[in-house]
Amino acid sequence: MDAEDLHGSLHALRGEFEGVLLISRERREDMPQAQVTMDVRKVNEGVSVIDVKGELTAFAEGVLMDAYSQASDGRVRAIILNFEGLEYMNSSGIGLLVTLLIRINREKQQLLTYGLSEHYRNIFQITRLDDAIGIYDSEEEAVRAGAA
Amino acid sequence: MTGQTPHSREHSEGRQVGRDAAHWARYVETLEVGQGSVAPNVQGRRVVGPLQGFGKMWQKTYTARLEGASASPSEVVEAWRTRFPELSGFGEKGFRVPSGGLVPGAVALLGGLSGVMVLYSDEESFTYMTPEGHPFSGWITFSAHRDQDATTVARAHLLIRANDPLYELMMPLGLHRLEDRTWQRTLRNVAAYFGADDAEVETRVVCVDPGRQWHRYKNIRHNALILSALHAITTPLRRTRRHHARSVGAVREPPRRPET
Repeated sequence: MDAEDLHGSLHALRGEFEGVLLISRERREDMPQAQVTMDVRKVNEGVSVIDVKGELTAFAEGVLMDAYSQASDGRVRAIILNFEGLEYMNSSGIGLLVTLLIRINREKQQLLTYGLSEHYRNIFQITRLDDAIGIYDSEEEAVRAGAA
Repeated sequence: MTGQTPHSREHSEGRQVGRDAAHWARYVETLEVGQGSVAPNVQGRRVVGPLQGFGKMWQKTYTARLEGASASPSEVVEAWRTRFPELSGFGEKGFRVPSGGLVPGAVALLGGLSGVMVLYSDEESFTYMTPEGHPFSGWITFSAHRDQDATTVARAHLLIRANDPLYELMMPLGLHRLEDRTWQRTLRNVAAYFGADDAEVETRVVCVDPGRQWHRYKNIRHNALILSALHAITTPLRRTRRHHARSVGAVREPPRRPET
């Protein structure tokens, strides 16, 4: 095979590869993805806040666990979820909170929340998450509880 | 930290209520069974989630790809919800749907032993929550979604603990296997309903929390198996007492004569 043939072959291969990339991107765009952002803030040495904005569904699992990994280090004793920006939550989202809670408890940390609307407080009540996850009216109260 | 893609759902209606408001059951202190139904293991019981159980916490996921089926995820979930007794294999007597259907807050009875409450229901999923005394404390979610290749995938997802020490003992003695078989059968039935007769059910089991919640040992006081057995054993005694009470009542009160 001479250089020209090789060039032609590589060009053809590149075209195929780019085609594959395009199909892959289209399929990713068809897939339901997390409609959520989670920003992590360190309030003090022992307390981190995760600001949840958007939808808490099964597709948020990766985002939530990554946020927790960022929020937690050897000295953090309390993780606070700020739900002021929560727009939607289904039952899979509640399940995520349970698995997060288990992980947090394993690290001997606390999970606290604030910013829940009346609607979401009712959901915490009926799912009995309020038995194990502290619910507070403000960040200040939650931070105080986390530092105690 | 961001995950973002345009979504087909409508945007939020407002923060106070949330656009998912209609999909959730309202809070109730205890369960009420429909009129005409007798369900002592459900009436007056509280619902329990995976945090209120005794045993290890398990996450079990059963999935079936509906290869070749044209049904959308919402069509699959609608049929699943509407035909739940048939597709689950429990039948009409094994799973009694309340008159209003499986809507959020509805309580369905399981063959006289226990029941479930519909915690959540929307176009693409519905979730049951169990009451005190049920073998499991937790949630089971039935859902469907489109996979990467546009195939509809049906899924049953459990997050459960055994409710009390007796059920926890039964887990390795057959309760795990019974649970697996029930939902594998259900997924196969759902797939067959939509023409995917050869669908294989993938099962994934993860022990989320290997620790038992020993302080929940008192949950056994609601154990539906024990209470049902006691009820059955004492039924002849109660019948005798009722019969005796009626007989004594008839002797003490002679029949009244009509006034002339």
